[in-house]
Amino acid sequence: MQPDDIARQLAPKLGDGLLSVEPFPGTAGRVRFRSERALELFRAVRDDLHFGHLSMVGAIDWVDHREVFYVAWSDAATQYLFLSTDVPASAAHVESASSVWPSANWHEREAWEMVDVTFDNHPDLRHLLMPDGYAFHPLLRSFKLHEPEELEVKSRHV
Amino acid sequence: MSEMWINMGPQHPMTHGLWNLRVKIDGEMILDVDPEMGYLHRGIEKISEDRHYNEVITLMDRCCYVAGFAWEHLYIQSAEQALGLRPPERAEYLRVLCDEFQRIASHLMWYAAFVQDIGLMSPFLYGMRDRDLVLDLFQSYTGARMTYEYMRVGGVRNDVPPGFTDQARKVLDWLSDRFVEYDQLCLGSTIFRERCDDLGTLKANDCVAHGVTGPMLRAAGLKRDLRKDRPYAAYDRLEFDVAVADSADVTARYLVRMEEMRQSVRILRQVVDWLDRHPGPVLAERLPRWLGAPYAPIGNEGYLLKRHYAKGVGFSAVEEPHGEAQAYVVNDGGEHPYRVKFRSPVFANISAARQYLVGYHVADIPPIMGSVDVCVGEVDR
Amino acid sequence: MASATLYSVSDGLASALLHALGSVLPGPARAAVTNPNVIVGLAVLIFAVILLAASMLNTILLIWWERKLLGRFMDRRGAMHVGFAGLLQNFADGLKLFRKNTFQPQEADPLGFYTGPCAYMVTSLIIFGVLPISSGWNAGTLPLTLLLALAIFSFAPLFIFVSAWSSNNKYSLMGGMRSAAQMIAYEVPILLAVVAVILVAGSFNLTTIVYEQQNYWFWGPLVVALIVFVAGMLAEMERIPFDLPEAEAELVEGWNTEYGGMLFAFFMLADYLRALVGSILVVLLFLGGWTMPTWVPGALTSFPLAGIFWFMVKTYTVFGLFVWVRASLPRVRTDQLLRVGWNRMIPLSLLSIFLAAVLVTVKCLPLLGCVPGVGS
Repeated sequence: MQPDDIARQLAPKLGDGLLSVEPFPGTAGRVRFRSERALELFRAVRDDLHFGHLSMVGAIDWVDHREVFYVAWSDAATQYLFLSTDVPASAAHVESASSVWPSANWHEREAWEMVDVTFDNHPDLRHLLMPDGYAFHPLLRSFKLHEPEELEVKSRHV
Repeated sequence: MSEMWINMGPQHPMTHGLWNLRVKIDGEMILDVDPEMGYLHRGIEKISEDRHYNEVITLMDRCCYVAGFAWEHLYIQSAEQALGLRPPERAEYLRVLCDEFQRIASHLMWYAAFVQDIGLMSPFLYGMRDRDLVLDLFQSYTGARMTYEYMRVGGVRNDVPPGFTDQARKVLDWLSDRFVEYDQLCLGSTIFRERCDDLGTLKANDCVAHGVTGPMLRAAGLKRDLRKDRPYAAYDRLEFDVAVADSADVTARYLVRMEEMRQSVRILRQVVDWLDRHPGPVLAERLPRWLGAPYAPIGNEGYLLKRHYAKGVGFSAVEEPHGEAQAYVVNDGGEHPYRVKFRSPVFANISAARQYLVGYHVADIPPIMGSVDVCVGEVDR
Repeated sequence: MASATLYSVSDGLASALLHALGSVLPGPARAAVTNPNVIVGLAVLIFAVILLAASMLNTILLIWWERKLLGRFMDRRGAMHVGFAGLLQNFADGLKLFRKNTFQPQEADPLGFYTGPCAYMVTSLIIFGVLPISSGWNAGTLPLTLLLALAIFSFAPLFIFVSAWSSNNKYSLMGGMRSAAQMIAYEVPILLAVVAVILVAGSFNLTTIVYEQQNYWFWGPLVVALIVFVAGMLAEMERIPFDLPEAEAELVEGWNTEYGGMLFAFFMLADYLRALVGSILVVLLFLGGWTMPTWVPGALTSFPLAGIFWFMVKTYTVFGLFVWVRASLPRVRTDQLLRVGWNRMIPLSLLSIFLAAVLVTVKCLPLLGCVPGVGS
């Protein structure tokens, strides 16, 4: 599956929600899309392109904006597909993929607590790796290492 | 007894690591589970943003403490993509050698822990004893038994010592005999079958939906193995079969892992033969000109890699002993990776815990979680 | 001294001691010291101390035996460094546990928390008072020693449950529940299997049961009862494959999760005491006790304390079989255990009673006896 094929199949469904499909190392291509049309894209990728397996969700803090990326896998094509969308840092939120791929659940929880991207309609958006009530988002560029951090952690279950 | 929540963990014999499985029980029945991770979170992804490319390898060994090589390989592949490097062929074979021995070591560790979970005491020692032979091999060419720091961006650190291949063959012969014994001890035992058959069933479509990969997925009958589907390193030049089973239960996962060890032995025999016939360099001696590094003395690559790079991204995936691991490395042209993101297979496998635990007995938790083969180091990273 | 019994020895010792003491005392004190009641009292005390020392020593030796055997099964050596072949390792471990601080969880109930282990230990020890070890080593002629031994043996679930409940820990409670369910389920087949032995031997007295086996050991004719009894004993002793009350994989340490130091040592010792009792009962009921078959050369059966020697050999062999089982079988699940207990073991034990009744009625026991006896 080439980037052009993907673009051809996705364009009718997504319209202007699809920004571009470009080559990407190790995968069939990178699909860049508008975050408002996320759910439609996920459905199209799963049902039309048959990428039934969501491997990973993550986010990158580019300081001025944040990028949320998804990696999906298709058993038929034995290929990965890289999806990414940019969200503004001031209103970093995107629709949760967990209604389409249940496996997104934990990955989105991690991305939320690490990079501060909110996933709308997520079934269970709690802290995963950090303790409850942790006020920081460690993978933001503004979170500097080498600075001692003092914090009182309360036990989650008494 | 009414319903109650109990914490299995963070320090509990079942966990094999540091995590907490909250279980809602009614008597002996499991009504709900809620895995709680993060006790071993070291922020490897964050630390990586502050390290040079070769320094991240050190972190990778600590990422999964039973499969250090697989994670090194994973990161190295992505970093090489991001930097535009290619290793020599012998290095690729050496990486396969590391990966497959690591798979055996990891599966032996799993075997030891798993049989202990269902109360079988002696095979625990057998598994650990045989794993030690593999670790001895690792020690002979990396100097370390767990945290190897052996692979390098652009190859591997050093070649195997003379006589290594003969020693490796001896170990492989010993191991293939032991696998028969393991099977007799487990599959030959009625109690083992009673405990493990139809337990923790997770069908193929549920596996796919919840992102479960690796032996758990193959035990559900889906023949998916990155070494076959998207061959990396030297896997496309090696002969092996993908182990599958179809009952999707604990026994099936046992069978798949056992068969994988046999296939690893098969791969390793070919690799060892190849290594004997094809001497050569193991590290890209001449890093590309744009790196500003005309001659790269071995052992000093880290310094050279501090120089300038073209921007780039790397995405790669390897079939780790626990499943499918992925790494995404973003290189913004600076000294350090801009962002590193890892996908841990166990992370996804545990996230589906509710699917394969609810409805069974409390006593079934150790065998089921044992069959998942949890390595908390890579879940929490 | 074939007629001397352990009690008569302690009685003689006590009276000699007190008379020697009395001879140097003035008249009234001498009378008080040599009073027969005082002598009996001291005799009982000496008897108890000897029993205690012997049973504890054997228990510790048993632990060593298990560690060595398990080590060999696991392709390692077991305890090696303290004493010859690690014989003193358990004393070192005991000393370590003894030095440890005694603590209790904040919310635990002190009464149950402390009485549980002590009562468990004491009831396990009492059984040794009624177990005959050789023709000379027994408590006398109590008529119902077998019944008494089994009755005391089945106290354990009560105390386990008390200590589990009062530790105020969910794991302990679950372990205690499992333990109670398991022991009650397996108490029944054990008793029924014993009924078969009683039918054949015609007595509740363990000494008599052993003497009844002089011509043929009971394991041959009563093999069904033996199987039921051994399996039931494995469950009663909470050993693999039936160790789920303390299944460390899911319940941490089961009902003794909250115990540490000497209280834990009490549980540990009592467990092995019960294992020793279990092995001894198997030897007494099915393997001819201290008697040996006639084909064994007389030199091997007539040396001093030969009875005790052969008894111990048999006991440690039986326990070795338990260790072998432990080294090679996985643990079963609660529901499977109870299913086997109620659905398989009880019918089997009833069958064994039926078989025993048939054997007694048609008087063909000697024909089925596997090992010719030693005696006349």
